[in-house]
Parts: sequence; structure tokens; C-alpha cells
Amino acid sequence: MNESVVAWLAGSAAQEAAVYLLGNVPGLPPIAQSLHILGIVAVMSSTTMIHLRFLGLAAPSQNVSEMISRLMPWTWWALLVNAVTGLIFVVGRPDRYFLNPVFGWKFMCLVPAVAIALVIYQMNKRDLGFWEHTTARLRSARVMAAVSLVLWVGVVLAGRWIAYTDYLYFLYE
Amino acid sequence: MNEETSVPFPEFWNWIQALPLSEHIGFTWWFPFLESLHVLAVGLVVGSILMVDLRLLGKTALSIPASRMTREMIRWTWGAFVLAAITGLGLFMTRAAAYIENPAFQIKLVLLMLAGCNMAWFQFRTLRHVDQWDTASPPPQAARIAGGASLLLWIGVIFAGRWVGHII
Repeated sequence: MNESVVAWLAGSAAQEAAVYLLGNVPGLPPIAQSLHILGIVAVMSSTTMIHLRFLGLAAPSQNVSEMISRLMPWTWWALLVNAVTGLIFVVGRPDRYFLNPVFGWKFMCLVPAVAIALVIYQMNKRDLGFWEHTTARLRSARVMAAVSLVLWVGVVLAGRWIAYTDYLYFLYE
Repeated sequence: MNEETSVPFPEFWNWIQALPLSEHIGFTWWFPFLESLHVLAVGLVVGSILMVDLRLLGKTALSIPASRMTREMIRWTWGAFVLAAITGLGLFMTRAAAYIENPAFQIKLVLLMLAGCNMAWFQFRTLRHVDQWDTASPPPQAARIAGGASLLLWIGVIFAGRWVGHII
């Protein structure tokens, strides 16, 4: 399946455009990568802080429901920025990503992490204080927070390792 | 490039990168491992600072006293900063002589120092009288300037830091 995505993107107008932009806009690769890191920063200070709050590790005086409505819109904007800045590279060199197992691991962490964030946000939006109303809900929110924290760490680590996978194969050959 | 370097103490940087630990990091999976931890730590450093900066700018969380926001976030900032500094030092050691000459790296260090000065000024001047403006909306000009400067400086640190790898 990944091979067919590569075949579909390779030589497409989108790929040509991405390659052209990356090669001809001065400083575009580091600028896009820096914006991508700033997106991670925004996720860290929104979703991740809320998870740490659920687990009683951060911001003890702040109300968790208020934190969710205040901070999580930042998560969605950050994810949009990261999708755009990431796509430039993925579309430009699809083989480097779709044939790379670490890229797959990144998304195996990212998709459930975003799903958990959506559940936490939507339930709180529909019913403010949803996660605090019963101990059972609070407990499940804590489990989701712990799982999600591990997933986000996985997203960041895997994201950085994508670029090193060739090096890794070289080491183990 | 080390023979005609403009940077002081060229022998020292060469000595650092010739250390067994530097070579071990540079030639094994330690480098990408430390680098990925560095990105994670930087995310948490700037993420926790971002929350304080936006509060100081009066953009968000005005219902939470500035002193409390600062106090609750600073432990995460410092904890993550220690991790970022240790992992960053590990990365630096591998090619110390080249990094120290790298303009992006030099700019990053200057921005870090300016961010530190801004933080110290805020801590010892503006925050000392926080009881007078803790819940003020908008926060006083000194707090807004500190928050805005911090935000710009840390964004600059991230751009310069990412640029380091494109120059070396």
C-alpha cells in the first residue's frame, strides 16, 4: 500500500511543486522545520499540560475543565501548522517517508493521541466539567492522559528518528 | 577549518571533540537519541514559557493570577531546561570546533543569554511588585514587554537551533 502511495506521488505535479519550493525558496527547509517544532511547542503547552494536570503533576491550582477549553484550540491550530509544514517534505520525497518504518510508527502514535485529545475536548465542550463529574470519568481521563503522554513522546522521538533511519540501517548491516 | 579559526581557544574545542565520550556520541545511535530528547525537552521548555508569556501579555488566562501561573510553570521550565542543556551539551561535544564557529549556533547562544537576562529582569524587578498587578487586566507594560520579548526570543532560539544543522 505504501509503495502505491509513493508511486502515485512520485512524478506528480504536487511532488514537483514541493521539490521546487524546497529547492528554490531560500531557507524554506529550516523555516518549515522550525515552524513544525513550534507546533510541537504548542502541543506541549496545551494537550500535554492538560494530561499532566489530570495526573496531578502540573498546574495544581488551575481548573482542568477551564484548561481544556482555554488551551485545546491551540492544539488544533498546532496540528494544522504541523500538517502543512510536514506535508511539504512528505510530498517532496514520498519514498523517504512512506518506505520508512519509523514514519509509520510516528503515525501509529499520532493517530490515537489525536483521537484521545478529540474525545477529551469534545466531551468537555458538550458538557463543561464532564471529566470531573464522576470519579469513574476522572479515572478514565487519567488513564487516557497517561497513555496519551507516552504516545506524544513517541510522536516526537519517532519524528526526529525518521531522518536517522538510513544511518540506523547502516549501523546494523 | 580549524587551522584558521576566528574563534578563541581553538585547541580547547578540538580537545572536547576528541574526547572518547564525544566520539562515542558522534558515531553511535546516541546522537539521534540525544537529539530527539533535546527536541522533546525544548518543546516542554518553550511550551511552559509560552503559557506564562501569553498570560503576561494579557492574551489568555487572565482569571489566573500572574504569580500563580509563573510559579506553576517554572518548575517544568527549569526541569526541561536541565534536560535540554545536558542533551544539547552532548550534541555540541561531537563537533565542538565546528559548532562554535557556526553563525546559527552563535546566534542561538546570544538569544539564549538575552532570554535569560529578560527572565532575570522580570523575576527581580517586575515580579517583586506582583501583588500590585497580580490580577490586573491588562497587565502592566513592564510585564507585557517581558512576555513579548520572551516569546520572540524563544521563537528565535528555535529557528536558530534548527538552522544549526543546515549550516554544519
